[in-house]
Amino acid sequence: MKIEERSILSSFDYKKKSVWIGYTIMLLALAALAVTMLYPFGTTIFSSFKTRAEIFTFPPSFLPQQLEWTNYKEGLQYVNLAKGFANTFLLFAGNAVFSLIIIGLASFSLSQMKLPVRKGFILFFMSTLMIPSATYLIPNFLNLKSLGLIDSYWAFWLPAAANAFNIMLLKSFFDGIHKELFDAARIDGASEVRCFFQMAIPLSIPVFSTLLIFAFTSTWNDWYWPSLVLTTQDKYPIASMVYRNIIESSIISWNIKFSVLTIIMIPPLVFFLIFQKNIMHGLNLSGIKG
Amino acid sequence: MQFKDQTIQQTAQSWRRKLKDYGWGLAFILPAIAVFCVFLWTPIVKGIFYSFMNVDFVKGNSFVGFDNYRDIFASSMLAKSVLNTLYYMLLCILIGFWVPSIVSIAVSELRWFKGAMRLIVYLPNIVPAVVLYGMWQWLYDPLGPANQIISWFGSQQILWLTDKSMAMISIVIAETWQSFGTAALIYLAGIVSIPKDLYEAAEMDGAGVLQRIRYITIPGIRHLYILLFILQLIGTSQGFLTHMALTGGGPNNATLTYMYQIINEAFTNLNYGRASAMGVLMFIVLASLSIIMYSIQGRSRQA
Repeated sequence: MKIEERSILSSFDYKKKSVWIGYTIMLLALAALAVTMLYPFGTTIFSSFKTRAEIFTFPPSFLPQQLEWTNYKEGLQYVNLAKGFANTFLLFAGNAVFSLIIIGLASFSLSQMKLPVRKGFILFFMSTLMIPSATYLIPNFLNLKSLGLIDSYWAFWLPAAANAFNIMLLKSFFDGIHKELFDAARIDGASEVRCFFQMAIPLSIPVFSTLLIFAFTSTWNDWYWPSLVLTTQDKYPIASMVYRNIIESSIISWNIKFSVLTIIMIPPLVFFLIFQKNIMHGLNLSGIKG
Repeated sequence: MQFKDQTIQQTAQSWRRKLKDYGWGLAFILPAIAVFCVFLWTPIVKGIFYSFMNVDFVKGNSFVGFDNYRDIFASSMLAKSVLNTLYYMLLCILIGFWVPSIVSIAVSELRWFKGAMRLIVYLPNIVPAVVLYGMWQWLYDPLGPANQIISWFGSQQILWLTDKSMAMISIVIAETWQSFGTAALIYLAGIVSIPKDLYEAAEMDGAGVLQRIRYITIPGIRHLYILLFILQLIGTSQGFLTHMALTGGGPNNATLTYMYQIINEAFTNLNYGRASAMGVLMFIVLASLSIIMYSIQGRSRQA
């Protein structure tokens, strides 16, 4: 007899009328939820194709009457999109390189190398997780100011490595690699640097990609901190640029605003659909580790 | 004499050996320590110092004792912002906390489209914050879609963002829409890992569907409830970005949270000392809360 996959409900339950009704209601509720989840996407994308007159009709329609591509042309006058993308990419690349190398080395050392007072070092890193960012947001700004890093990308690249959560994630991954592997390499004469770059990094591609995804989403999303630290508007990443020029503006009409918002919504969506598996995996990791 | 030389030699040797043993490990960890010291520990420690100072970029900092703290407690904004933050946290729990767990139980029961539903629930998370603001400013527009939908049900027009009693609720709805997917997926992973034999056995013993959910599923993800509850409290106690973008703290300071007040003190009033002091107060409150939480958790585990 084939054992059937079951969850909370068994196939026997479906024969009961009350369960069947409940299940249908649940399905309807989920369908309604799906619509609520997707509806704002729909309005954003479709409204970007509406004419100005169509936007201001009440009640608002969902679908546009015709595709008004000129909205995009007009929207692009308000933000220097190419510049914004380039800045965002520069920030992301720097963040990724600095944080992965510094955090990777540190967690490798904590996990696989001989180290005095290991517990002390772990405490040094992990106790920063206990302190709410609200406490040091303002002093952090003043600190960057006194270091002369205001209006420089170094103010993002270097602190990107000061992330105890990522150290914890990477360390627990390295902990899962057998120590014998590295001991064997060391006996064969491999230096620690070689152990790290030629063994540890290739072995931990999945975790590194998870960290890269986290770095990407935070760089793409963060608009407030860059708009504080960077004083020249030319250096703004795309999110800050759009916030300053589009969201805060009260004169730009909604169809134009939505054209720009649609453009900056697309790259993360594509990115997500490509890396879906890794993102879900990363979520599970962070959920388990808390 | 010879004896002394030997000991010196020995200690030198042992130091050299220690360096050989630990050298690489220390070298690997050093960059991280430097970065943590400069960009994390320095601000944390400096924040405490700043809270006792009048920070002035031109004339230099001067020590003012407890003046900053006294000013904070004397200001009428403190009570207002603390109450708003508590209200915001409460609403996030009322509106946002139970939604993901129910959704995840429902999704785990789906026979078809499970993957698609997971994707859809998580999709709003992908939306950059700035797009979220734009979207919801439009949805909440007095003549926008939200009012259109409630008018179908015969309801009066609601001023979502400019009505004093609605503004905070509107913000929480927008944030819940965006962020509950993460929590739902974490719950879902927990639900999937509950052994199926338990349901089988319960069903044999005559437990109904709701009983199975109540006595097996929910206890099975209890640790996740506690974890996500604490994470949500920590997160929402510091929220201010959506408030800033959607309502600017208004109407009539109805959505001015504590964190927003810190930002205002620092970047509008340029009173960095007072802002730092508010940050330190925040730390004291959160730290004592988490100590209480842990001791309660420890006691319940013993019992």
